[in-house]
Amino acid sequence: MNALKQLFKGRNSADTAKQRLRFVLIHDRAEIPPGVLDLIKDDIIAVISRRLPIDRSSVSVNIDVAGEENRLLVDIPLLAESRRRPDGAKRQL
Amino acid sequence: MHPIVVTITSGKGGVGKTTCAANTGCALALLQKKVVVIDGDIGLRNLDIVMGLENRIVYDSVDVIEGRCRLRQALIRDKRAPELYLLPTAQTRDKTAISPQQMVQLCDELRKEFDFIIIDSPAGIEQGFHTCLAPANRVLIVTNPEVSSVRDSDRVIGLVESQEKGPAHLIINRLVKSRVKRQEMLSMEDIVEVLSTEVIGVVPEDENILMSTNRGHPVALNGQTPAAMAFHDIARRLSGEDVPLQVQQSTSFIKRLFGRG
Repeated sequence: MNALKQLFKGRNSADTAKQRLRFVLIHDRAEIPPGVLDLIKDDIIAVISRRLPIDRSSVSVNIDVAGEENRLLVDIPLLAESRRRPDGAKRQL
Repeated sequence: MHPIVVTITSGKGGVGKTTCAANTGCALALLQKKVVVIDGDIGLRNLDIVMGLENRIVYDSVDVIEGRCRLRQALIRDKRAPELYLLPTAQTRDKTAISPQQMVQLCDELRKEFDFIIIDSPAGIEQGFHTCLAPANRVLIVTNPEVSSVRDSDRVIGLVESQEKGPAHLIINRLVKSRVKRQEMLSMEDIVEVLSTEVIGVVPEDENILMSTNRGHPVALNGQTPAAMAFHDIARRLSGEDVPLQVQQSTSFIKRLFGRG
């Protein structure tokens, strides 16, 4: 499966180039190195998880460019264990 | 028509700026425009050899700036076109030899005589580039369909805009249509989308370019090669004609098609 994926990727390297360029240009234009976002992500996880249970592996921190404005988009999925019924179904409102 | 100063530049080196400057100049001259091409890369003179005029240099742009000769004496007439001149640069000086202000004055002087002043700028974002940018009415950024070149172009586009010299336009150079079709190479559309910048011409990969550079005879002077046709289209667009963008097949691809490659 992985080999197949690799082969597919190899076929369409132009698309890979485009995706990589998009990513790098967002950071170049915002003058924020990509590694800084990882550090911010670690900081956010540390601060939030002190108060709330969060799904650490799914936290994302991204720069979003909308016209002239850059914004930081942070997505932190909460682990709301206590509000979940034992069978896993969510409680109806 | 007012005289136009066209600065041809790029972020990354080796993408074909000098080839584009020489051929665009030749193509404009064949449209009966009065054209001067200026080598803006002080200390790394190359436009002369690409155009095959290296043996005729006596004076250069730094001699003009420093008052050792008159502007007219430094201009080399290329007799293969009606009104085409080269202003070579100094080989033994560096980028500090001409200031942006002096480049503006030089171009103001040339505006009195010429329809088009084409400046072959050095690559990069340092003083040599700023000197060549200062007099520009139009800025063309040569970009190869390749990630490092596209990324560096974005940086230059930003600088051009911050100096209020925009909008810059792209010359996409060395595109291979068959590789775009196989999705091995960024397409014109991909590059336009990523850079949000318009294209003034797409020059296909063309093996005739190397041979023409070997000989000092730009393809646009008399060739019907794929790249030559692209340069003639660029010249017509610069002259204000509305020419639809089309991407020519590369020569190597045509040869392969007919089993000669």
